Amino acid sequence: MNIEKIYRTNTIETTALNNINMNINKGEFVSIMGPSGCGKSTLLNIMGLLDAPTGGTITIDDKSVTSLSRKKLAAFRNLKLGFIFQSYHLINDLSVIDNVELPLLYRSGISGVERRKRALEALEKVGLSARTKHYPNQLSGGQRQRVAIARAIIGNPEILLADEPTGNLDSAMGEEVMNLMLHLNKTDGTTIVMVTHDEQMAKKTQRVIHFFDGQQVS
Amino acid sequence: MLINYIKLTFKVMLRKKYYTALTLVGISLTIMIVTIFASFIDQIISANPPEVNRDKTLIVDKVSVFKNGEQTDAMPSLIFLQKNIKDLESTEAISYFSTKQFISLLNGKAAGHSLNFTDENFWKITDFNFLEGKAFDINEVKKGARVAVINEKTKAYFFNESEALGKTINIYGLSYKVIGVVKSATPFSKVYSDVYVPYTTDANVQLTEKEIEGTYSAMLLAKTIDLKKVRTELKARLKGKSMISGADSVKVHAFTALEQFAKSSSRNDDEPEYGKTAIVVLVVLTLFMLIPAISLVNINITRIGERAEEIGVRKSFGATSGTLVTQLIIENIIITLIGGLIGLGLSVYASQLLVHFINTFDPLFKMPTDSFVISWQVFSFCLFSCLLLGLISGVYPAWKMSRMNVIYALKGGNNV
Repeated sequence: MNIEKIYRTNTIETTALNNINMNINKGEFVSIMGPSGCGKSTLLNIMGLLDAPTGGTITIDDKSVTSLSRKKLAAFRNLKLGFIFQSYHLINDLSVIDNVELPLLYRSGISGVERRKRALEALEKVGLSARTKHYPNQLSGGQRQRVAIARAIIGNPEILLADEPTGNLDSAMGEEVMNLMLHLNKTDGTTIVMVTHDEQMAKKTQRVIHFFDGQQVS
Repeated sequence: MLINYIKLTFKVMLRKKYYTALTLVGISLTIMIVTIFASFIDQIISANPPEVNRDKTLIVDKVSVFKNGEQTDAMPSLIFLQKNIKDLESTEAISYFSTKQFISLLNGKAAGHSLNFTDENFWKITDFNFLEGKAFDINEVKKGARVAVINEKTKAYFFNESEALGKTINIYGLSYKVIGVVKSATPFSKVYSDVYVPYTTDANVQLTEKEIEGTYSAMLLAKTIDLKKVRTELKARLKGKSMISGADSVKVHAFTALEQFAKSSSRNDDEPEYGKTAIVVLVVLTLFMLIPAISLVNINITRIGERAEEIGVRKSFGATSGTLVTQLIIENIIITLIGGLIGLGLSVYASQLLVHFINTFDPLFKMPTDSFVISWQVFSFCLFSCLLLGLISGVYPAWKMSRMNVIYALKGGNNV
């Protein structure tokens, strides 16, 4: 509520987000649209607890998370949130399966065997169980994004935050990734917030929020 | 998780070949020098063969003579030692020895050898490995028999590979029969010598030895580890006698090898100062490792900086700063250990080169090229040094990177 993000330097003050009030329901698939630089990615980062707002509060599951310590924020991200980035952000030195099981490394009480099992399940869900030992640079863009989705869902997060997940993909691959997210939302009930430029993709989601100059316009 | 870190370390090492090579060269050269340094100290102080009783062996190689308020320090004479340092109840055995040198001529070529005049107890206190024959006994010492025990290096020099027993070597114009061949002690040890002969054949005792000052030392093997008893007995022995002509009093300095090393940092060269010595060694070690560590810190900042995106990803998915610091330090320690192992291997060759270099200064007296031994103590010390170097060079870059803002990190660390 009342989310504000202002970037300050010695001479300039830039308002990236101005008084944003937004409510996203559990199990909803929402897309945020707007021109470049309108603040939609900044909002997504704040919603994902990767960045702190200058003002306002974020409430998830009726719990305010704005004032949590760094350590608690890390644990919260690990348990509740999953991220899908436009440029995949896979670790090139790790194999596909190692990339996918990464979030579980930071969760206590999960054995190596269990991690492997769950990573395989996640890869099966995205149709990449045959590529476990490949490295990211051996995969196509669409495959990389599916690996990123597998990584995002391995910890069974309640909320998926996707920042232009189809932005780097051609239309066929983009369609494939979009369908996968729709499927996850429908079958697992995962709440998804997606930032996109693509109106066609946005139309497939349950609700579209428009942004302009750091403000929500619809 | 550790397996994950190890796998990743090797991947990054192979991917960043230039940084890896630079890092490994820096670490291995540092550890190589540390190993040689540690090996040198180990040979001086540790209970390695043949000086297996070093922790309960006191060496008396200095006397302080007080006369008219003035103090004179010198090595004791054989006469002084025989008169005053014998039959101590707290000791198991006492040996007298003096190390000298002689020149041999073989096929027209001169070579220098160290010579140890000693007694039968020398072989009881030490534990030389006899490759051939035996040591000289009390009867041979009493008789002044011209018999010699030589080390393997001397055997190889005089007799090549053939049998040495029964053959003779010429020392100061006299023939000595070889009765034993031992494995060489380390050249930095007090008991190192090329040739050992009974002290009763030392023709110069009358000429060089005075009542107190001379060229001999005594080795006192205590009955127990409690060396205080020996020192107290020694003190009492000297106090109760008025045999020392011309001197008001005489003090003998009896120290173990470790104490001798520890007192080298003592200002008055009198009492060992373990704490001070340990600090000096640690400071020298840290200062020595600081320069390569600073270079490694810079390399690591660049190396880890290139992994900003990975750090951003890990943070996004729940890694805390602490977890990331641990990961980066473990990775750094793995690299340091690999560099350390290379350094350990290099130290063997480097020490041989060093001995060759030292040998060029003296054409007569040559040290054996296998003088440096890597014992388990040296190995442990190297391991400790690797960990220290890994920590020193890894903590700051790891801490700096772990604090990176996650958004900036995901953008590849720009603006940091």
